[in-house]
Amino acid sequence: MGTAKEYTIDELMVVTLAKAFTSDDIILNGTVSFIPVSAVLLARATHAPGLTWVAGAVGVDAQPGSVIGNTLDPTMWKGCVMYLPQYEDMWSYVHRGTLETFCIRGAQIDQYGNINNSIIGSDYHKPKVRLPGSAGMGDMGSLDKRVFIWSTTHNPRTFVKKVDFRACVGWLDGGGSRAKLGLRNGPQLVITDLCVMDFEPTSKRMRLVSVHRGITPKQVQEQTAFELVMPASVPETPAPDAEYLRLLREVVDPKAMRKIEFRGSATKV
Amino acid sequence: MTARKEDKLVSLQQAAALVRDGDTIAMQGMGTQMSPLALVRELIRAGKRDLQVAMVVGGIGLDWMIAAGCVRKVMAIIINLDEFGMANNFRRAAEAQKLEVEEYTEHQILTRLGAGAMGLPFGVSRSGLGSDVIGLHPDTTKVIECPFTGKPVIACRALEPDVAILHAHRADRFGNVQFFPKPIWTDVDVFPRAAKKVIVTVEEIVENEEIRRTPIHTGIPYFKVDALVHAPYGAHPCSLFPKYNFDRAVFQRYADESRTPEGTRAFLDEFVYGLKTHDQYLAKLGGTAALKRLESWD
Repeated sequence: MGTAKEYTIDELMVVTLAKAFTSDDIILNGTVSFIPVSAVLLARATHAPGLTWVAGAVGVDAQPGSVIGNTLDPTMWKGCVMYLPQYEDMWSYVHRGTLETFCIRGAQIDQYGNINNSIIGSDYHKPKVRLPGSAGMGDMGSLDKRVFIWSTTHNPRTFVKKVDFRACVGWLDGGGSRAKLGLRNGPQLVITDLCVMDFEPTSKRMRLVSVHRGITPKQVQEQTAFELVMPASVPETPAPDAEYLRLLREVVDPKAMRKIEFRGSATKV
Repeated sequence: MTARKEDKLVSLQQAAALVRDGDTIAMQGMGTQMSPLALVRELIRAGKRDLQVAMVVGGIGLDWMIAAGCVRKVMAIIINLDEFGMANNFRRAAEAQKLEVEEYTEHQILTRLGAGAMGLPFGVSRSGLGSDVIGLHPDTTKVIECPFTGKPVIACRALEPDVAILHAHRADRFGNVQFFPKPIWTDVDVFPRAAKKVIVTVEEIVENEEIRRTPIHTGIPYFKVDALVHAPYGAHPCSLFPKYNFDRAVFQRYADESRTPEGTRAFLDEFVYGLKTHDQYLAKLGGTAALKRLESWD
């Protein structure tokens, strides 16, 4: 399988996230999650046919064919084997950890992968900016999920030293602080419009893994308000395989709904 | 409170009169899905004040109510219009400190309602441990030690809303409410059980015999329903899966016009205040025949 020469950042993000998923994953998604849902459909169509996806946390093993609506819409439940009743069933599987993988983005992300989508400002009750709210991330951060973070706005306003409000628990204050609270799993990978990052195993600080084509590690650091763990050498993010790219463009997301997520991004797609 | 096996069918105006100023109402809804919006429009026209609205996901109806000055406090996990972006009136009211926002994680607010439904003083959850959400409302969520393992858990105080308002597929006159499919969403499931009064608007009224032929679809029994309203397309512009999808044109228009208070006011004048009944609302949209265009899910 050859790699593609011509690709855009949205395509690279989807393919990179898809490659992180395996047939062992059980993944559920929330609203306006076009990049993760495209990645799920792409992974399932390629190297991870056994991946289990619960569309919008409702449609078990749904087969909508492509991204045909917002990721929380009933339209995405098409072809599922069950509508998962939310109150009893879904929350049982989430609390116990059966549904283990979730993808999250937010207005602010700190060096330990704690996330905020509630307010900007120093006083919650007097917000400078009122954001939509914590939604599922408030649950999933504490409920032992393997969390994949994505962001289309890699800049110092999003990647902050400390979130104004810790809506979603990542690695908390780093080191063993998450485990000390009795929480399993945690943030695994961060995929942005500039790079791929993970978390250094001991300190749990965010660490640069690869930079997208044309981006330097120095540029990533300049767009990040905290100090990244910087390996001696940082490779370029592998270009998407040609077949993955074809499937994404022609089958998985032919309407390119993933580009909706780039409203407000400095990266043009 | 127990409702008798009697005819519950009333007008929207009569149903709205059951909601009193200051009530805590549990309102079904998502960003773009399944919400009792015909009743919401009537509550706005009736000039309700000081409502405390509990939802999981707040959407367009809540944003209208906030803009119309009906709401003192919201209890929710997120308020937005899904792919259409921010709920602008929610945002403006919160930033101006004209609205109290009691934010929860989803499982916390469900645990509060679940405890209310069972008449227990509180329920427990692990959702939100370690987050700043917990410290927001010590009167209703508190980290306690499990009496058996010593591990931290969150006690979520029971919530019994005064009224639950819902929109469903069909019911008989006694208020046996059916869903196709049976309750998927948490609000259809636990909201009516937790609330003291329940108001349901439905697409269709059927005979009691039809309910008895298809009891597997019944989600709420008559003894829990206080008032029932026949309101076809009563969730519009939200969707009612699988009958009709959300109305993209109306959502986009509201998303655009609600960027300013003036634009919001003009929208509400046209779609809420300027229409006295649900029939007038449907006529404005071209009638139920025209709304068949929303029956596509592709």
